[in-house]
Amino acid sequence: MGERVSIGLDEVLHVAKLAELAVREDELRRLVDQMNRIVDYVASLDEVPDDPLAQPFIAGPISVALREDVEAPVWLARPPAALAPEFAHGFFLVPRQAAMEDQ
Amino acid sequence: MTATAGQQGSGAATARDTGARLTRAEPLNAVLHWSQELLDAEGARVDAMRTPGPLAAMPVALKDNIVTVEQPTTCASRILEGYVSPYNATVVERLRGAGAMIAAKTNLDEFAMGSSTEHSAFGRVKHPLDPARVPGGSSGGSAALVAAGVVPAALGSETGGSVRQPASFCGVLGVKPSYGRVSRYGLVAFGSSLDCVSVFGRTVGDASRVLSTISGPDPLDATTVDRPPMGVPKALPDLRGLTVGLPAEYFPADLDGGVAAALRRTAEQIRRLGGEVREVSLPNSKYAVPTYYIIAPAEAAANLARYDGVRYGRRKVGRDGDIRTLYRTTRGEGFGDEVRRRILVGTYVLSAGYYDAYYRKAQRVRALIAEDFRRVFEAGVDLLLTPTTPTPAFKAGEKTEDPVSMYLADVFVCSMSLAGLPALSLPVGRSEGLPVGAQLVAPYFQEERMLAAAGVLERHLDAAAEVR
Repeated sequence: MGERVSIGLDEVLHVAKLAELAVREDELRRLVDQMNRIVDYVASLDEVPDDPLAQPFIAGPISVALREDVEAPVWLARPPAALAPEFAHGFFLVPRQAAMEDQ
Repeated sequence: MTATAGQQGSGAATARDTGARLTRAEPLNAVLHWSQELLDAEGARVDAMRTPGPLAAMPVALKDNIVTVEQPTTCASRILEGYVSPYNATVVERLRGAGAMIAAKTNLDEFAMGSSTEHSAFGRVKHPLDPARVPGGSSGGSAALVAAGVVPAALGSETGGSVRQPASFCGVLGVKPSYGRVSRYGLVAFGSSLDCVSVFGRTVGDASRVLSTISGPDPLDATTVDRPPMGVPKALPDLRGLTVGLPAEYFPADLDGGVAAALRRTAEQIRRLGGEVREVSLPNSKYAVPTYYIIAPAEAAANLARYDGVRYGRRKVGRDGDIRTLYRTTRGEGFGDEVRRRILVGTYVLSAGYYDAYYRKAQRVRALIAEDFRRVFEAGVDLLLTPTTPTPAFKAGEKTEDPVSMYLADVFVCSMSLAGLPALSLPVGRSEGLPVGAQLVAPYFQEERMLAAAGVLERHLDAAAEVR
């Protein structure tokens, strides 16, 4: 982490954009302070010497036995048609959200 | 009248009694969804079973991040308000197959992110012994219901201590199994390398039976380990032959006096019961909380990307009809403060230029933390004993302004989650009237031995006694 530059307003806005998260103008200052507090705290891992040969941790047993790649039905409590008001030819019909393809 | 477990052939009566207890417990705000009608249907279903099963007519509550077809699953978030899953989680199918009755869906910190259940979109849960205090979190609703005697057992989920910490605060048993022991099919994902469905019980016996029922491989969850389900531990007369390690790093000088006294009493009792107690060291555990608060938010940021207003729950359409505005407005308004903070931190540590410095580094430190445990167990230690929490239950509002002080409530429980190890919290006494929990930690997949030892301690320690 080395020389950490503190997180500013622009950085929080940039990260919020990456995260697809709207932030309100009136909460920005508080978010900047809290993110700095959290990132400063986790930067205490700087104390641990870097070992380039160290392996990252993998959760679970050494080798996870993957199941056979066989297609099997997934049991639903209700048929797909019961999950949507409009359902046709195996597709859900949903309201148009945006003009992505037309632009 | 408190909850009892496994009254065979008494589904209908249990449904009525449980409904009455749930009604009386409403001031705790521990429950998000329940109805007498659904409880009665569960009672009738159990009464009609040909073979009652090991959990016959046991009412079990579920944390509201475990999906069910009969009730909504909200994760205590506005973004999932009204969402009903089209399938049941594997743990729900297994509980029902064993004769258990699903009693209620319980309140939690939004998306299981928090240590006090104050971060619920539907209001905080109150501690059953002192409404001004928190029950812990994030599975605070489940813990409070079991502690109040409404149900004998409940499911919660752990990512970094979210069952053991509230179990300690509320004075009930809370057990986190090994990573891969219990199916997560139908558990709403938070931190996928950490998440475990976990169990609360009034007694070690009840929690063991529930864990035994829900454990075992599941073809619908490739991260379950292909080993037989956990057996129900046999009752041991004493602790002869057991070596228990006390890691020095978990007994700091500033540990709460009541917690320290309760742990001293527990260690003495282990010795009296024939166990050997020795001091050990887990030097990298001091990095557990910062490591956790890089890895868990990073995984959360990825897992919570799916709540975009298109596929699930609530949708907020922007004025200009642009799809990105829809995503951002839905997520900005649908998630609460703590979830948004963690998504931002997680996105930051994964972003270009920071990934190696934070996420990769944290994964390496995580390996060091796990290696410490492996070394201690290989040196002949069977179980570790630590405090579960640095203090008894704190007051509501005490830690909400400073996120880091809230994170430190999990200082003794994070490391086991990072290492994927089984661990439990057992009530071992009270300090100024509030419960104190002791934590036992076992090697990978040795839950049975850990629960058997907890059963012996449960018989020989008065958990209601004040300790000094």
